[in-house]
Amino acid sequence: MPVSPIQKSLKAIKLAALVAAVLLHGPLFAEQMESAHDLMARMAKATRELNYSGVFTYEHRGNLTSAKLIHEVRDGKIYERLLHMDGMQRDVVNRSDNLDCVRTGDMLLRGHAYKINNENYSRLEDFYEFHIKGDGRIADRQVSMVHVLPRDKYRYGYVVAIDKESGLLLQSVLMSHAGKPLERFQFVDISIADASAEIDSQLEGGEFDNVDQTDCVQLNRKIVSPPSMWLLNWLPPGFVLASHQSPGASGQESMMFTDGMAVFSIFIDSVQDKALPQVDAKLGATVAVLNNVEINGRQYAICVVGEIPRGTASQVASAIGLAP
Amino acid sequence: MSDHKERLEEALSALMDGEATEMETHRLLKALEEDPQLRDRWTRYHMASSAIKGEPATTAVDYSAAIAAAIDQEPAHRKSPLTMFAGSAGRFAIAASVAMVAVLGVQQLNSPAGTSLIDNGSEISEFAGVETSTENTGPAIQFPSGFQPTINARTVSAGGNNKSSLRTTPELEFQQQAQQQFKQKYPEAELRAYLNNIMSKHSSHAALNSNQGMLPFARLSEVANDNKESAGEALSEKE
Repeated sequence: MPVSPIQKSLKAIKLAALVAAVLLHGPLFAEQMESAHDLMARMAKATRELNYSGVFTYEHRGNLTSAKLIHEVRDGKIYERLLHMDGMQRDVVNRSDNLDCVRTGDMLLRGHAYKINNENYSRLEDFYEFHIKGDGRIADRQVSMVHVLPRDKYRYGYVVAIDKESGLLLQSVLMSHAGKPLERFQFVDISIADASAEIDSQLEGGEFDNVDQTDCVQLNRKIVSPPSMWLLNWLPPGFVLASHQSPGASGQESMMFTDGMAVFSIFIDSVQDKALPQVDAKLGATVAVLNNVEINGRQYAICVVGEIPRGTASQVASAIGLAP
Repeated sequence: MSDHKERLEEALSALMDGEATEMETHRLLKALEEDPQLRDRWTRYHMASSAIKGEPATTAVDYSAAIAAAIDQEPAHRKSPLTMFAGSAGRFAIAASVAMVAVLGVQQLNSPAGTSLIDNGSEISEFAGVETSTENTGPAIQFPSGFQPTINARTVSAGGNNKSSLRTTPELEFQQQAQQQFKQKYPEAELRAYLNNIMSKHSSHAALNSNQGMLPFARLSEVANDNKESAGEALSEKE
């Protein structure tokens, strides 16, 4: 049967459409994948640089508490206040920080790779997968839901909701490996102003403690680590040192590690009179593993605390030893 | 759901996270033998877990019964003096349940590249179902002998479905050997104070270095209340 010219051109159009669809699909998919990273990076920036105030809830194991947060940027400085809204009367947390102080966790979240040594880099996407799971509404605002899935057993996953307009984090749920929520932060009400906009300051009165500026890492500066007698023989992959405090007057040395999402701290105390017992404790989603070691006749308590699986924490705790 | 069952399921999810205690693991192995529902749950957790990790998932087949039967048939085993001695099936049942765990584990690794739950878009993994699930029981509750549970609240439900949110004092859960010995040596209150103090330092660390800004401070909302003074004491005592 002879093929009519119309049929021929129809075929050509179909083929062209197919080719176009295939060609278009690739880049579209890549763009969608990338935007999850963009969202995280935008979130990291927005959390610091915008002016906002709101009320959020914190939920773990059937306990619900709420707190009010005010965040303002003035003259290159961040002023923050956190007020607990229930339970016993507590001190207000007042904190100030330099706007241009970007820390390790922030850098990782903004998509920068962190150079561990000449061969190894720590990058957020090597340790988590990011999936945009559609839209939602939190605190009467449109949000993008992002599932952050761990690629190994050393860290937990997250479900986060990011405000579409501002990029602010409005909900963060920590997920266990079995897919169960361990804790949840969620805003119930928030008002957001642009950083440049004039706002009526809600932060009258109160002293603001300026936070430690030694752990800023912009301009490729590394964390300056004070001389320490301790050595870590193992770290969960992807975690990098974000701050290190030498044992000052308190006699407590502390180190803090992050992979961009999760954070854990190590505290080392020299114990004089009575040794603390071995402890394996859990508070909400936070685990604490306390080990005792005796070195040269001195007792030390080594405590690893963080929102990480218990296995990771105890592995870290047992990998701390004396530097040669 | 009975209390016992709920406890078991929590322990199961702890085991999944590699966080179950030795005692719990034993209890679970025993319960898994008898409770097909619990076995199903264990399978589901693994499927969800591999979906989360993006590993190819597979419909797990429970070989435990078949293996147990096969072992029973095995003449070498039937006649072994050890078995005659111990007189029986209990031993095999334990072996079988261990075998089941092993089989499941191996399956995860060896399963051919199939369809992942997440990839094919069917959102039946527990992770994906967060928003609607009302059955979440959260982290396992662990109480060593000696500590009484002080909490009577249900665990976090991501669906915001708090069934009975009785307000309780927050509790730290301890696990340690030589409970009695420790109690004499080191008062629990002081230990709590120490941990709370460390916890508060960690939270202010975390508030500078995670994606959550000041939110981690909320973790302390209750803890520090009743321990503020004792924390000070504990520290000064240490110095």
